[in-house]
Amino acid sequence: MHLKYESPLREPLVYGTKDYHQVTEDIVRPIEAKPSKLWYIGFFISVSLLMFGVYAVYRDVTYGIGQWNLNKTIGWGWDITNFVWWVGIGHAGTLISAILLLFRQGWRTGVNRAAEAMTIFAVMCAGQFPIWHMGRVWMAFFVMPYPNSRGPLWPNFNSPLLWDVFAISTYFTVSLLFWYSGLLPDLATVRDRAKTKLRKKLYGIASFGWIGSTKHWQRHESLSLVLAGLSTPLVLSVHTIVSFDFATSVIPGWHTTIFPPYFVAGAVFSGFAMVQTLMVIVRKVFGLGDYITMGHIEAMNKVIVLTGSIVGVAYLTELFMGWYSQNKYEGYTFWYSRANPFSPYGWSYWGMMTCNVLSPQIFWFRKLRRNLYVTFFMSVIVNIGMWFERFVIIVTSLYRDYLPSSWSVYYHPTVWEIGFYLGTFGLFFTCFFLFAKYFPVIAIAEIKYVLKTTGESFKDKMDVQEVLETEEFAHKYVH
Amino acid sequence: MEQNKHWQSFGELNNSEAYQKAAKDEFREELPFEGNEEGGFFKTSTPRRDFLKYLGFSTAAAALAAGCEIPVKKAIPFANKPEDIVPGIANWYATTYVQDGDAISILAKVRDGRPIKIEGNESSPITGGGTSARVQASVLDLYDTARLRHPKYNNNEITLEAADKAIGAALAGLGGAPVVLLTSTVNSPSTLQVISQFLAKYPGSRHVQYDAVSYSGMLLANEASYGKKAIPSYRFDNAKAIVSIGADFLGTWLSPVEFARQYSVGKKIDEKNPSMSKHIHFETVASLTGSNADERFLHRPSETGAVVTALLGAIKGQGVTGIADEKLKVGIAKAAAALNENKGAALVVCGSNDVNVQIVVNAINEALQAGGKTIDWSSTLNYKQGIDADFAKLVDDLNAGTVGALLVSGANPVYTWFDSAKVVSGIKKAKLTVSFSGRLDETAKEVQYIIPDSHFLESWGDAEPKTGYFSLIQPTIHPLFKTRQWQDSLLKWSGATTDYLAALKTYWATKLGGEAGWDKALQDGVINPATEPAAADAAFKAGVETAAIAAIAGAKKGGEYEVVLYQKVGIGAGQGASNPWLQELPDPITKATWDNYVIVSPALALKLLGIDLRNNGQSDDYEVHPAKKQVTVTVNGKKVTLPALIIPGTQKDTIGIALGYGRNVELGKAAVTDDGEPVGKTVYPFASLNGGSVQFFAEDVKLELAPDMFDVAQTQTHSTYNTDQGNRTEVMKELTLAEFKKDPSDILDEREHELKEYGGVANFERDGTIYPVFDKPGVHWGMSVDLNSCVGCGACVVACISENNIPVVGKREVSRFHDMHWIRIDRYYSGNDIDNPSVVFQPLMCQHCDNAPCENVCPVNATNHSSEGTNQMIYNRCIGTRYCANNCPFKVRRFNWADYTGADSFPHNQVGHISEVTWGMNDDLTRMVLNPDVTVRSRGVIEKCSFCVQRTQEGKLKAKKESRPLKSGENNEWDVKSACQQACPTNAIVFGNANDSKSAITQTRASNHYRLFKSLEQLHVLPNVNYLAKVRNRDEEEGKKEA
Repeated sequence: MHLKYESPLREPLVYGTKDYHQVTEDIVRPIEAKPSKLWYIGFFISVSLLMFGVYAVYRDVTYGIGQWNLNKTIGWGWDITNFVWWVGIGHAGTLISAILLLFRQGWRTGVNRAAEAMTIFAVMCAGQFPIWHMGRVWMAFFVMPYPNSRGPLWPNFNSPLLWDVFAISTYFTVSLLFWYSGLLPDLATVRDRAKTKLRKKLYGIASFGWIGSTKHWQRHESLSLVLAGLSTPLVLSVHTIVSFDFATSVIPGWHTTIFPPYFVAGAVFSGFAMVQTLMVIVRKVFGLGDYITMGHIEAMNKVIVLTGSIVGVAYLTELFMGWYSQNKYEGYTFWYSRANPFSPYGWSYWGMMTCNVLSPQIFWFRKLRRNLYVTFFMSVIVNIGMWFERFVIIVTSLYRDYLPSSWSVYYHPTVWEIGFYLGTFGLFFTCFFLFAKYFPVIAIAEIKYVLKTTGESFKDKMDVQEVLETEEFAHKYVH
Repeated sequence: MEQNKHWQSFGELNNSEAYQKAAKDEFREELPFEGNEEGGFFKTSTPRRDFLKYLGFSTAAAALAAGCEIPVKKAIPFANKPEDIVPGIANWYATTYVQDGDAISILAKVRDGRPIKIEGNESSPITGGGTSARVQASVLDLYDTARLRHPKYNNNEITLEAADKAIGAALAGLGGAPVVLLTSTVNSPSTLQVISQFLAKYPGSRHVQYDAVSYSGMLLANEASYGKKAIPSYRFDNAKAIVSIGADFLGTWLSPVEFARQYSVGKKIDEKNPSMSKHIHFETVASLTGSNADERFLHRPSETGAVVTALLGAIKGQGVTGIADEKLKVGIAKAAAALNENKGAALVVCGSNDVNVQIVVNAINEALQAGGKTIDWSSTLNYKQGIDADFAKLVDDLNAGTVGALLVSGANPVYTWFDSAKVVSGIKKAKLTVSFSGRLDETAKEVQYIIPDSHFLESWGDAEPKTGYFSLIQPTIHPLFKTRQWQDSLLKWSGATTDYLAALKTYWATKLGGEAGWDKALQDGVINPATEPAAADAAFKAGVETAAIAAIAGAKKGGEYEVVLYQKVGIGAGQGASNPWLQELPDPITKATWDNYVIVSPALALKLLGIDLRNNGQSDDYEVHPAKKQVTVTVNGKKVTLPALIIPGTQKDTIGIALGYGRNVELGKAAVTDDGEPVGKTVYPFASLNGGSVQFFAEDVKLELAPDMFDVAQTQTHSTYNTDQGNRTEVMKELTLAEFKKDPSDILDEREHELKEYGGVANFERDGTIYPVFDKPGVHWGMSVDLNSCVGCGACVVACISENNIPVVGKREVSRFHDMHWIRIDRYYSGNDIDNPSVVFQPLMCQHCDNAPCENVCPVNATNHSSEGTNQMIYNRCIGTRYCANNCPFKVRRFNWADYTGADSFPHNQVGHISEVTWGMNDDLTRMVLNPDVTVRSRGVIEKCSFCVQRTQEGKLKAKKESRPLKSGENNEWDVKSACQQACPTNAIVFGNANDSKSAITQTRASNHYRLFKSLEQLHVLPNVNYLAKVRNRDEEEGKKEA
């Protein structure tokens, strides 16, 4: 009997026979090569969308929120729906980097860089909505607690919206630091390979003088752990606080104590779906299939089916409580405004149920989990479903609340409302295209780290020893 | 001994030059701005601290520069201060609102020379300080940009002198052809004197009074029955049983403010000994009055005669005959029984303009011994005196060419006469035609000369709405334009040397015993009889009804469908059409603004429109979209296509359409849509002349579904507070009188039950929360609204608009649910009968919750609670997140979606984004109506009812200056009344200091302990507004829980 034992369950984290140089070559190639035509087209479309969004926001700021179809009953519509949606998407990155780092999940290395970038861009997009949805955005600085001559007059620390301000800005800052500190060694790698002066200078500045000394590495590791420790509670707290916007109110359909866990699960759900969408594209376009493996895809699909089922349970709990509480207002919101498919917004509820709860169940099948097309399609479906979820929560609660006299229907978004949303897509993808062009989309250093313990070359190295019989091995190594 | 050298760096050890420099500079004395002289500012090497300083300064400077651009507005002080103007202090002038015979005594609030608000004159025994929506809105007409600014001849400007000369010459050159002065009802004694003086100058001339919606049937019937061509005073307050057959006496019929006041007397409930008047209403289309009735029955308009005949028969004990409809039959029997039970305290009124019908009504009242009790002939109502036949004859005369000159004041027959073309052709045949219209109405467009009359707030005058009761008019502002009172014109053309003011003064000084009497009367605004005359009867000529009944029996029968033409509370016969406040005032029943429409019953909707209201999906689909199906209505070959609204409580084979729409587009911005089309469509052509009076219904109507949809802007869509998930009894509470008598504490028990687990009603504030309860020392404002007194007329809504500078947003914005009203009147249906449900009105303003959900969600503290219990809104702190509006369970918070007021700091952001009419409200002229005490809100901020904080502050200050406690209703003395409270004709709203045991609010709450409830009380938001439950005078104990 010899030592060689291969796990039938765990597959290698990196496919193929790679050495360190090969890894660097593979990942840095897109940065050093000229962008493809596809990149230019995608970038152009993204920037166009962004410009359209900027114009839509210009209209809203100049002419008033009346550019949108919100009304006296429904004060929030697409704006806050999109905000919560983007914030939710911005959860996967930090979850992957921080929580999975703490849990020592090796597979995170393939996707963490791009996922973190996505998080940062998604939070940037999310932040646009609470800012520009204000009636007087030029007074937005009132939410900052700064000493002033008005008393001094402080913001209202009781308001969940203010908690949002702190929660999201903290989350953004920590995520950004985490992402960037992880980038340092890789930027240094790019710098060291740079062939032009300008490149060298820019990447030199960006890599903060990283020379890869042991001291650097040691500090880097410590910082990563500290930041991971900091971000872990943030992953849970941000969406909890966002859910407080609703949970602390008096509106039936909002006033719900299960919101924090329900929102966090939903956020992880949508975040992973968005990572899937992007990863499937990136691995295809940049040919990084060996690094972002089917194993990764499958692992994330497992998270999707888990969190999708958690939100499903939350939906059913809400429905149950709508009946069980015998509160007529709750009952009406959950059973008529939402669950009745013939009510004015019944379609959005059933859209949500179909996309979020029913369709992800296909991932119980391994074959479907490992199918790229199914994965891509489902990742889009999940995000549509999660958009519906936020729309359902916000609009179907508001449009028919307590006094029937005030009921109204938010009939359709205006082109500027849609434009703002499209604009954030523009912002997101513009950032992402720039990121993909100028930054290593996969953490080179971390891949090299896992390469030591996984992959074909590791096996090649170990094979020599593992084929030995136990006695042979002992004879050779025991002194 | 050489000391050991201790060193901590090699620099120190070696004592290098660099080290020396560093050591020297360690604690520098001078400011660290290096090289200021030689290198200039940009060359300095800025240390970190300076960088932070610069950053802080420049950020602050940029923020200041960005935030401080405020448009420069010049305020110029008086060089010589006028004696009676103190900046910031309002002057009040007693005057009278007059329009087409309506006259209501008012006080005009004048700030810095501008009248800005109208309030009822509490010295008037007729109204007791009550007003109507139209009275409240009339101040805006003064500042209307569409007012005519100078005399015109064939649409060209001329001077008054030239006009006088030319008209004088033309009058002289008539060659004996008669002059006809056509007016709406004139009840001003001095004007009547001026008219007779003028007519005397031109022999053969005559004065014709013409009312758009006339009472000529009633006048002639009274002549036949009592020998008096007049309308008696009605005493609804004395009536224990009231039956109305189509008379909307709380909304539009004769003197609604007076009647509403009287009516509410019978509806006030003494909890210890509950009793109420009983009001049974027969009508076709739900009116304001019908909605307030205890019981309501439906009939076709052509059946009005049959109904009154059957009622007369039933009262006389002959049973109900000649009525096919079972429900109606029961109703008539009930009405007859209620009336007979209360003989001597019963009153029947009828809105029909048919002489015969009114004769029968007179016979009914005679049989009920109403004369001298509920019908008072001691003084007559002088609001409407026009006789349709007189005008019909005038039209014939005009067309025959026998009228030399036609002078028109007030009347607008080209619009309101059913045969408009004939009026126009007649006017063209007169040699001289003059209109005194203040704006370019339909008739003014057809005449040669327009000498625009001044607005009543710029005029002198008097009125005698009720014989013996006078009300004086005095100007509150110098005429804004080159206008002249028409009485002055008449005096001039009759060769008098005095002007109208002199004539008026002489007239009254003579009567009142000199200048002092005149001054006093002018100050009071009213002249009342020294003692109120005792109610008197008039001799009734028996037997005249026999012929009338025969004539009614022979009247035309209705076809498949009928149409009834009604007046809206705000628009009236068309007078309100140019007033944006009134156009935006939601109709009490339909809650629609800015349009007229076809009202159809749910049954007809199913048949004609294919919409089944009982089907949740279909009714949702109908109600959530502003686009409504259109119906083409054909009467006598005349077609009108209008959108259809389904209104429960409409007779199933009848449709209703409001008069007063489809005005001339030059009448004012409010009468025109953004597309340049008139607002709504006129249906006056559907009227017809029947037996000498105009009949405002048509018996035979063809209805077809038109292809297109049309948007109707409604402020409320959902109509019932019951849902398939339970009845929302915490929103509204109502019960029947029988129930209330049997179990007075029913509502209190219901509240106790609801709050049982949280300390019950008494301890709910403390036990319903985990947070501490705060003391409420000092003043604590509270409001009580008696739903039993509220008739839903909307006077409070317009009063609030006027007081609080609430913008007009226009139809498009209303249809997007962007209406801005701070107080709204929620209309709910109750009962299970969708064809004829009960209606209840609930005025809803900010509830000023003591535990307000809006307050704790605002991120910037822009809305917070005052120590006086009011929920305050700080506009310039608001950043517009709308979170508060979302979290308001009452949905009373309003957001400025666009720059409705022109108060925004972004220029040029209104054109194309707000309606023309909103744009018009930003005109310098129109802005003169703004209340300087109330901030005009800019775009992007939330606003809502403030409990008239400017008034409470003023009231407190007044009390403080007089070193006494604030009075809010103690002995009926008031330092503060909210605008809505002041406007209310029925005193349904009581406002004041709830911490004062003697205040009216405390008294009201204590004495109505059983009926008191707070909307959505169980949420523990602790509203400072309470309601008193609606009680219907019904025998059966039905409809409490599910109602």
